[in-house]
Amino acid sequence: MLDLSEFRSVYLEELDEQIQIMEEELLRVEKAGSAENGIQRLFRAAHTLKGSSAAMGFFKMKSLTHEMEHLLDKVRNNELQMTDRLTVLFFQSVDLMKILQQEIVQHNQEMSDIHAMTLLLANYMHEHEHEQLQVQEAPHSSKLVPRSAAKANELLSRLEAASSSGVQFKWVKFTLAADCGMKQARMKLIEMSVCETADLFCTIPDLSAEWDEPDNHRQLDCLIGCPLTTEELAARLEGLSEVEGIEIQECGMEQLQSELSPKKEAVLQEPAEPVIGDKTKAQTIRVNVDRLEHLMNLVGELLIDQTRMQQLDKDFRQQFGSNEATQELEQLSDHLQRTIGNLQESVMKVRMLPIEQLFVRFPRMIRDLCRTLGKEVELILEGGDTELDRTLIEDLGDPLIHIIRNAVDHGIESPEVRREAGKPAKGTLRINAAHEDNQVMITIEDDGAGIHADKILRSAAAKGMISQTEAESMTEREAVNLIFHPGFSMASKVSDISGRGVGMDIVRTDIERMNGLIEIVTEKGKGTIFKIRLPLTLAIITGLLVQLSGRTFVLPMTNVTEIVRIDPAMIKKVKGVPVLFIRNQVIPIVWLHDHFGYERSDHTKKHIPIVIIGRAEKRIALAVDELLGNQEVVIKSLGSFIGKVEGISGATILGNGKLALILEAGSIIKMNINSY
Amino acid sequence: MNHSAHEQYVEFGVGEENYAIQISDVHEIIKMQDITDIPNCPYYVEGVINLRGRIVPIISLRSLFAIGEEPFTKTTRIVVVHHKDDSVGIIVDRVNQVAVYADIQTPPERVGGISETYFVGIGIAAAGLVGILKLDEVLIRE
Repeated sequence: MLDLSEFRSVYLEELDEQIQIMEEELLRVEKAGSAENGIQRLFRAAHTLKGSSAAMGFFKMKSLTHEMEHLLDKVRNNELQMTDRLTVLFFQSVDLMKILQQEIVQHNQEMSDIHAMTLLLANYMHEHEHEQLQVQEAPHSSKLVPRSAAKANELLSRLEAASSSGVQFKWVKFTLAADCGMKQARMKLIEMSVCETADLFCTIPDLSAEWDEPDNHRQLDCLIGCPLTTEELAARLEGLSEVEGIEIQECGMEQLQSELSPKKEAVLQEPAEPVIGDKTKAQTIRVNVDRLEHLMNLVGELLIDQTRMQQLDKDFRQQFGSNEATQELEQLSDHLQRTIGNLQESVMKVRMLPIEQLFVRFPRMIRDLCRTLGKEVELILEGGDTELDRTLIEDLGDPLIHIIRNAVDHGIESPEVRREAGKPAKGTLRINAAHEDNQVMITIEDDGAGIHADKILRSAAAKGMISQTEAESMTEREAVNLIFHPGFSMASKVSDISGRGVGMDIVRTDIERMNGLIEIVTEKGKGTIFKIRLPLTLAIITGLLVQLSGRTFVLPMTNVTEIVRIDPAMIKKVKGVPVLFIRNQVIPIVWLHDHFGYERSDHTKKHIPIVIIGRAEKRIALAVDELLGNQEVVIKSLGSFIGKVEGISGATILGNGKLALILEAGSIIKMNINSY
Repeated sequence: MNHSAHEQYVEFGVGEENYAIQISDVHEIIKMQDITDIPNCPYYVEGVINLRGRIVPIISLRSLFAIGEEPFTKTTRIVVVHHKDDSVGIIVDRVNQVAVYADIQTPPERVGGISETYFVGIGIAAAGLVGILKLDEVLIRE
C-alpha cells in the first residue's frame, strides 16, 4: 500500500489554492464578461486539480474537475460561449468541490454524490455542442523545448560563475522505484532534499516547468555543485524513499559548456518565445506556524532581558559613575536594544499576512447573500494589503462575516424600498482596513437603513432585558449599543443569514479577546458603520503603565481612549455615583483600588490622573495614583493554577525584573457597568 | 499507596511542625522573592513571581493551614513543585533536609489541627513526626 500521507498535505494546500483561484476568476468572469486569460486560468486550475486528484485517488474530485476542464477547454477555443448559465454551473461545481474538500480534510474520503453535477455539466456540453461553428483540432502544444534561450544562457552564466569560484559539478541520477506513485511529486521531494545538501543548478526533466513526461518516466537527473566527495554525497542522499538507485558522476565545466552551447544555438534559431512570467527560483518558502510561534517567544524573552539590561546599565552608572566600563556597557546595551528592536519587527513581519486573505472570502459571500435575499449590493474592499498578525486574521474571520451578514440582511434595504427612499437601488457595502499608529482599523460601512433605536428599545423591553423606565431614560447611543447585549437579536424571524440571537454579543467578545475595540456609528436612513480597532499582534502590545497603591499595572493601549489629569473638584455625583463630565459625556469614575481591595491613596493631591477606557460607547474613567508612561510589553499568561482572575488578563515582566499585571479593560467595564 | 522505604523526601518546617514532599515533585528551592500579589484570589495564593522569565504562582502553607502569618525570615524558602504542566511555589519557614522515612503510617483524621485529606501519610523520623503532603490536594483550586 502506497503511503500518501506525505503528499496529502501538499495536495490539500494545492486544492485550497486552486479552488480560491477558480472562485476569484469566476467572479471576475461574471462581472466583466469572459476574458481570455481568466478562462485560461480557470482551465489550468481545473486541469491541475484533475491530475493531482486522480493521483491521490480522489476520483469524485477528478471527474468533477474533468467535466469542468472539458467545458473550459471548449470555451477557451471559442467553441462555446461563457453564458450566465454556465457561470452558475461552474459556481455550483466549485461549491461541490468545497464540500468534497471538507470531506477529504475531515474523513479522508469523498462522500457527497457528484453524479447530478457532472450530469448537468455534461448535458450543457451536449446541448451546446450543435452550436459549435467548427470543430477544430486543438493544436498539439509544442513544449518540445522546455529550456528557452534565455534560460540556457542564464544557466550557463550561473555555471561559469560557480566554476570560477572552484565549485565541483556532479550529475546525480536518481531512478525511482517502478511502483512509485505520483512520480512528479516524489521528484519534487527529492529535489528538495538535494537542495539541502548542495547547490542545485538544473534538473532533467525540468521540475519547475509544466510536467509532460510519460507516466512511466522514473529518471531524475540533477546537476549540482558540491564540495563533498562522491562517497560522502552518496551517504548523504541515502535513504530517500522510493528511490531505486542513485548514480553520481563527476563532470567538468568544459563538458557542460559543450553540452549547453549547441543546444543554445538550436534554441536561438527558434522564434523567440515571449517570456511571460518566467519562472525564476521561488522567492518564498512555507514555514510551519509552530516554528514562527517559537521564534516569537524567543524574541519576547530577549525583549524582557533587554529591558532588564537597560535597568542594570542605569544602576551601574549611578553606582560607579561614568567610566570606561560603564560606557562600554551602555553602548552594548544600546546596540542590543536596536538589534532586538529590528529583530522583533522582522519576526512580527514574518507573522503578518495581508488582510486580503480574509477579504477574498467576501465577494462570493455577498453574491450569494444578495441572491437569497433579493438585494443588490456593491461590495467595495479597500486596504486589502494592510498586514496584521496571522492569528488575528484567523480570529477576525467570524466576527467580520457576522457583521457583513447583518449589514446585508438588516442594514441594506431591498431595491424597491431603496428606490422609494430616493437612494440608488444598489446598496453599497464598504469594507476598509488601514493602519493607524500601532493599530489596525477596520470599518464596515453600509448605506442602508441604519439602526433604529426605538425598535431596539421595544425589542429589548419585550425580551425583558431592560425595564420600561430604563428604556425611557436611555440615550439613543445606549439603545443602539443594546445590540451587543447577550441574547439580543433584532431579527423578528430566525433566518440562516443572521439572527440567532447570539450574534453581536459574540462579535464583541471575540474582538475584545483580541484586545480590540468595536464601535457603532449609525444614522437612521443613512447607514451604519462598524469600527473595529485591533492591535497588530497579540503577543506583544503597547501598554500604559499605571500605579495603584504602589503596584504597577499595565493597560493595553488599544483600550485607552484618553488620558487626562483632573482637579478633584471636577468630580460630580449623579445618583451617588462619582462621575466626570468631559466633552458632553458623563463618564463614571472608578477607583480600581476598591475592586482589588487596596487602600485608596490620599486625595490631597491637586490633580488626579485619569485614564479613560472604552468599550463600544461605554466609557469608564479609571482613577490611578500615577502614570508611568508606555512601553512594549510581552503578554504572559498567569497559568492554569491561578486561572481566570476578574479584571486581569495576564502579566508581564518589567525592566526591573518585577511582574506587572495586565488589566483587562472589557471585564473591568463589565464589572462596573452593572452598578450604573 | 506504595511508598518504598527508599523514597526520598524534601523535609521542611512551617511553624512548629515538619512536613515533606516527595523529591521527584520538587523542581527547585529558592530564596524568598518579590511577590506580585493578585487581587481577588483565594486567601492562600500570595501572588506570582518571575522565575527566570517564567511566571510562577506562589501559595502560603501558613495561610492554607491557618497557622497564622509570620513575617518572612532569613530561612524562609519557596519550594517550587511541579503541578500538572506548570510550576507552583510553596512558601515554607525553613527547609530542613532530604530525608528517607523507614516507616510511613496512614494519617489520623486530624494532623495537628489540619485535615487528613492534605496528607498521604505520616513519616516517622528520629526528630519526630513529619506530615507528607498530598500535593494534588494542597494545590487544588476550585
